[in-house]
Amino acid sequence: MGLIARALELEGIATTLTSWNAGRTRILMPPRATFTRLKRGATLGRPGDVVQQRRILEATLALLAQDAPLAPVLLDEQDE
Amino acid sequence: MAAVTDVFDNREAWAAHFAAGWLAYYQQTGETKWDLYEHPRNRTAVGRAGITLSQSRLLFISSAGAYLPDQQPPYDAPNPLGDYDIRLIPSSTPLDQIAYAHTHYDHAAVDADPQVLMPLRHLEALVREKKIGALTENMISFMGYQPDVIRVLDETIPPILRAAKEQQADAALLVPS
Repeated sequence: MGLIARALELEGIATTLTSWNAGRTRILMPPRATFTRLKRGATLGRPGDVVQQRRILEATLALLAQDAPLAPVLLDEQDE
Repeated sequence: MAAVTDVFDNREAWAAHFAAGWLAYYQQTGETKWDLYEHPRNRTAVGRAGITLSQSRLLFISSAGAYLPDQQPPYDAPNPLGDYDIRLIPSSTPLDQIAYAHTHYDHAAVDADPQVLMPLRHLEALVREKKIGALTENMISFMGYQPDVIRVLDETIPPILRAAKEQQADAALLVPS
């Protein structure tokens, strides 16, 4: 996803992403990103936890207001 | 020093390492050996100015392997070499009409609540709340098991860029699985 984000950004489309896998994502240097401690297969939060899903979504989308490249933002979001 | 216009500023070195290591081993044995795999990395940052989301058209991109089983073939999920095609899915599609062809994550969460990977209803709510200007008519889907980064660059990214322009996207939200 980091490479796709970079390609879109270079075409003038602002991007943001969120990932539970900071290690693999950070090294691709995406323009804007949030990282969580969630699990593979549940990137936006626990099943049924609408409040957590919306919180992660809105925090990730909020980065679009800022000029990129940005340092990744670590969200205090976990599976439990 | 690599130009900051590069999507992947380590392309040539990565391609050589992949061909001589992971890919050569697979071609010789039919097996994948991940300690031969080098995860791609960039040395340079790219970026453009921020946007006002409430006045922008947002494109959602998912690597969860989503497809419409009544209209589209599934991805070649079991293929050790990956699948590099994309599918377009209307952003308004009911979530129960979407299936997932991806064998590299546990589907329990997405089966229980598709919005853990496909937040289409949340995004629609944000449009109604005027936090997002609009969603593009279609979202972009692909299956994120793609070990060959060069094929991602040459086969996956070009149709994504074309689709993003056709959808008149101002911004994109990318959610890996």
